[in-house]
Amino acid sequence: MGQYDGKNVIVTGSSRGVGELLTRHFLDGGATVIGVARGPARCEHERYRHHPADIAEPAEVQKLFASLRTSVKSIDIVINNAAVLTSQYAMIMPAGAAQAMVNLNLLAPFLVAREAAKLMRKAKAGRIINISSMAVSLEPEGDSVYAACKAGLTTLSNILAKEFASFNVTCNTLGITAIETDMLKQLPRDKIDAVVARLPIPRYATADDILNVIDFFASERSGYVTAQTIYLGGVH
Amino acid sequence: MASQADVIEIIYRALRSLNEELEEDKRVALAPDTRLFGPDASLDSLSLVSVIVDVETAVADELGRAVSLTDDTAMTQEVSPFSNVTTLADYIVRQLGQG
Repeated sequence: MGQYDGKNVIVTGSSRGVGELLTRHFLDGGATVIGVARGPARCEHERYRHHPADIAEPAEVQKLFASLRTSVKSIDIVINNAAVLTSQYAMIMPAGAAQAMVNLNLLAPFLVAREAAKLMRKAKAGRIINISSMAVSLEPEGDSVYAACKAGLTTLSNILAKEFASFNVTCNTLGITAIETDMLKQLPRDKIDAVVARLPIPRYATADDILNVIDFFASERSGYVTAQTIYLGGVH
Repeated sequence: MASQADVIEIIYRALRSLNEELEEDKRVALAPDTRLFGPDASLDSLSLVSVIVDVETAVADELGRAVSLTDDTAMTQEVSPFSNVTTLADYIVRQLGQG
């Protein structure tokens, strides 16, 4: 019997990187995963349901949840993972790239969390987990907007935790360190190596480092854990 | 097109759902003149949010049209849509009638 048998889990940005990892993890644990990504499905599994959507667009989030209201009886866990990173010095950052980060990294988790909460409210249970980044704490040059969005995600999560507490929905944030993903490949490797070398635990994150905290936040036993942010690797 | 009676039934259903969660002495009357917002309102702010969410969801799912009950249009009406059940129903019917 799997840890997530019978659970319905939404993973945004399910096609790549950490989202793909989490999708596999929840499927292996017995869950049905509702994967959301702009592109086509990359996962084939009897319990994987792919919903192509650009969640930076409010209308697409509404459409997604209108569809889910008729096709699933509950949403148990939401992983707000989808994100975009443009790393560039502020003075030459295209405004469009900055706007895209705000839309996907901050507005989209808000839209997804609030629509999911409307479903979770009826069940009086739910877990919302936001994926953040060590960039919030390390404040690397070039990541001004990305890090600001991720910092905002923690504040967003903490306030939603208060608003949703009355119906037993928790909101927590996991700040991950560098892990081998497509997003990481966009950045100069020597720069990332130097950042990792300065972490209290100076190594790249493993899949299990991430899954361990996800399982903790998602656990039915964690109903008294909300508005918390856990950083990996000793970042704080 | 939805009638006022259809919409009032949706609002009553949201109030029934809310009442299931409230103590008996705090339950809200299902009546056309039940006040939803303001000093004499029968609902506290969290209860009103719950009713708004239920009504918006039911209108979208059952009538096939998304209406926002908290946007600028709603908030700038001369008579607040949330004055009572009837004003809310009238506002929704008007919104649904606007293409």
